[in-house]
Amino acid sequence: MSTAGLVVFYYLAAASIASAILAITRHKPIHSLLWVLALFLHVAGIFLLVGAEFLAAVQVIVYAGAILVFYLFFLMLLDLPSEASAPRFSAHWPVSVVAGLAFATLIWYARDIPAALVPPAAAGAPRAGNLATIGKALFTEFAVPFEIVSLVLLSAIVGAVVMATRKTEP
Amino acid sequence: MVPVGACLGLSAVLFAIGLFGFLARRNIILMLVSVEIMLTSVNVSLAAFSHHLSDVRGQVIALFVIAVAAGEAAIGLGLVLALSRNKQGVNVEDVTHLRW
Repeated sequence: MSTAGLVVFYYLAAASIASAILAITRHKPIHSLLWVLALFLHVAGIFLLVGAEFLAAVQVIVYAGAILVFYLFFLMLLDLPSEASAPRFSAHWPVSVVAGLAFATLIWYARDIPAALVPPAAAGAPRAGNLATIGKALFTEFAVPFEIVSLVLLSAIVGAVVMATRKTEP
Repeated sequence: MVPVGACLGLSAVLFAIGLFGFLARRNIILMLVSVEIMLTSVNVSLAAFSHHLSDVRGQVIALFVIAVAAGEAAIGLGLVLALSRNKQGVNVEDVTHLRW
């Protein structure tokens, strides 16, 4: 990873931030979702840069492919009344700006402290991130959380069906 | 090698944007999208730490975060669907009662 890698990283970071800002400020929900799609694809590129290839693939397939398409389908299904005339933000949006800026001050701590606080791995350490190591970790060390996540997904499916079913009697 | 500090800074900025969107938007669907932005920013910092420490566990936890995000999208949109049957539109300021 050299200067070219850094240039690509800073491009991806700037594009991610720009698409995130555009996503939450657009009037039309469809435009917001398309900007979120751009954000997810750029974040997948960042995952590739930090050596998380499998995570990048999952980001594209599950996040950009499944979750976002789910949102888009839902938006079209709902047939919203025209949002364009209504204000985008609620009346107390300056308070939200303050909250966001207060959180963004964390970037001050992110500048160089983690490198000193958490020493990087030794140069000869095996590289994490290929599919075999992830699969091994999933089915040995993280076997119980893996099963719990499957239960979470099952209950989410059942819950979504229960809540979305139209009630015929009052 | 991508500096871990830059990744964490990007993660903080993305989280702040998502937080602002969640607090300020009036459309419930856009609020859920802001939650997705926040979850993605957490994934960025997890992947950065995994790279920094050469430890695969960060990526495994990021996978769990993605799975929970999928469940959250399903449940949240199911709630919005049930809500939009009772009220016109998905404006969060119109929702002032817990049940009808």
